[in-house]
Amino acid sequence: MRTKPPLDAGLLRRYDRPGPRYTSYPTAPHFSPDFDERALRGAVIESNGDPIPRLLSLYVHVPYCFSPCFYCGCNRIITRDKAQASTYLARLYREIAMTAAMFDRDREVVQIHFGGGTPHFLSPVQLREVVDTLRHHFHFANRCDRELLIELDPRSMSPSDVAEYATIGFNRASLGVQDFDPVVQAAVNRLQTVEETLAIIEACRRYHFRSVNVDLIYGLPMQTPEGFAKTLDTVIAARPDRLAIYSYAHLPEFFKPQQKIDATQLPTPDCKIALLQVAIDKLSAAGYLYVGMDHFALPDDDLALAQANGTLHRNFMGYTTHADSDLIGVGVSAISHIGATFSQNPRDLPTWQTAIDEGRLPVIRGMQMSDDDQLRADLIQHLMCQAEVSVLAIERRYGINFATYFRDALVRLQPLLDDGLVRMDADCIRATAQGRLLLRNIAMCFDRYFDNPGVPVKFSRAI
Amino acid sequence: MSRPVFPLADARTVADDGDSLHFCSTCAFSQACLAHGMDKRELLDLHVLVEHVGPFHAGEHVFRKGDRFEAIAAVRAGAIKTYVVDRDGRERVVGFHLPGEVIGLDAIDGEHYPCNAVALDTVWLCRFSFTRMAALASRLPELQNHLFRLLSRDIGAATRLAGDWSADQRIAAFLLGLSQRLASRGFSPRRFQLTMARTDIGNYLRLAPETVSRVLKRFQDDNLIVVDRREVELVDFDRLEELAAPILRS
Repeated sequence: MRTKPPLDAGLLRRYDRPGPRYTSYPTAPHFSPDFDERALRGAVIESNGDPIPRLLSLYVHVPYCFSPCFYCGCNRIITRDKAQASTYLARLYREIAMTAAMFDRDREVVQIHFGGGTPHFLSPVQLREVVDTLRHHFHFANRCDRELLIELDPRSMSPSDVAEYATIGFNRASLGVQDFDPVVQAAVNRLQTVEETLAIIEACRRYHFRSVNVDLIYGLPMQTPEGFAKTLDTVIAARPDRLAIYSYAHLPEFFKPQQKIDATQLPTPDCKIALLQVAIDKLSAAGYLYVGMDHFALPDDDLALAQANGTLHRNFMGYTTHADSDLIGVGVSAISHIGATFSQNPRDLPTWQTAIDEGRLPVIRGMQMSDDDQLRADLIQHLMCQAEVSVLAIERRYGINFATYFRDALVRLQPLLDDGLVRMDADCIRATAQGRLLLRNIAMCFDRYFDNPGVPVKFSRAI
Repeated sequence: MSRPVFPLADARTVADDGDSLHFCSTCAFSQACLAHGMDKRELLDLHVLVEHVGPFHAGEHVFRKGDRFEAIAAVRAGAIKTYVVDRDGRERVVGFHLPGEVIGLDAIDGEHYPCNAVALDTVWLCRFSFTRMAALASRLPELQNHLFRLLSRDIGAATRLAGDWSADQRIAAFLLGLSQRLASRGFSPRRFQLTMARTDIGNYLRLAPETVSRVLKRFQDDNLIVVDRREVELVDFDRLEELAAPILRS
């Protein structure tokens, strides 16, 4: 786990094909409008009935941004009109109240994540109000490991805001950086100085945030390995606890803002691999551990520790140490994962608002996982988090014969075995160091939906 | 091969193996009848067996309190909760009924069912006429004994819980009780699913649902059991038995 993933450009090129990122299995395109409010309420009742009901994780979506970054595939609304926030919050509070009322009171909240958009489009006073509302409706025990995370955009805040966030209870931050190269920043419409960014990281430290994450993106227009190397040097010098190095997925037909990107300025596949190589080399040399997918962490960070002791988990917010909590998403477009179900709110504001105004939970689509879905989700979860799957554990847990049950999957896995991405013996399927860079390709072999031509799905590429 | 984890079923526990001539493997009465050399054809001739019914899905009622009592029913697959609603509108769980066990026995002295029966998961039943079964039992002592055993088990389960037991003792006894009952029907005694909600368990054991969860969590932390969603694995039988001993001996 702790070695630096070597990079075979030829192999990466060959496996660079579209596929899901497996923040969930089955993936969101398979959600169906048949999953309605009734189904969601049923799922919550079912989850309350577990012998030891799961802990709760909350995700709050704030859809507003002050200006559009062209690479963005998130659900957001560009505005400078701060008044919009208060009408949004009025609905959000009703949604929180309606949602919380379904959950038994002894179910404890262990993780809250504010994402967007830009969460601090809301003022510190408003953010405090949202957290207070959550505290009022949900059960917050005094546990020292509760995570309150906020995504931060250093361009639209000041270090003194961080002090306020700390008093609200936020103890983790995730900063968008992407790339410090001014040419790249101009091409993606995100001008952000090193100074303002470092000032925010510094403030997070001063106010005792337990963990600071920085997001970078490779594959952006005008990006060069040299420029990206400088960005990495700057970021590494600030020593964030975690780094996410995302691959840019250019899908302008799905994400409208991306139509503003000049496709001729995008790096070639070889250049993209070189960018990833730079990141891996620099981060490994600086002592960061590769957690999996796009994530790196310092050895003493919770994520790295969780991976070492097998408690790492993956959900819509990425990797997390809170295994197996039920996830409740509130706000427009938010996704919930309760028991063996997924459910999603409308992606557009009017539909979300109407549902809430009519006193309905604003679920627009979702799915009830089948037994097969749950088995495969468990397997893929292990693969994405531990880079290995215990055949015996799966057989025991689900009462199957692995070789028979996964006959087709194992056929699909064979070329990956031949290419040295995976090793397999009677007990274990394990990604090699090389294979850990292509975890999603390994997972695809076990994805029952992936080869289903009936579902029109467009995924980003592997690299 | 290991035994199936309830309510998962295989050929040894699914009662799909019966036909017009053969008893199902989970039949509550086959042993008693066969002991008298009586096979299913003879029972059919006597119109004792009424019908195989199902599936009932989770939440579906098999009968409701006040429904006209027509038949008792043996569970072939799945689990059933019986309950009554008291004068204040509060539900009181009477019992949980697993494959091979019989529901409706408490109705035999009246014309109406005295409680409600609801499926906790996918349930298949075998319904038969109690009057005719009883008439048959008067001729077959082994069958009569078996009926008495079923009746006394029903009463015993209720009285055992009336004692002044701690939450730990009640829950340990509950888990071991399920384990034994499932094991006697061919299921794994170590691993099984609690298909009933924790509110039902708490109600049955006269404990708050939060207490049920807190005790189970502590059992888990103490390595007595492992809980994974609805599935429970009993790890340390000795210590569980030690806890449950006063109740199981009562």
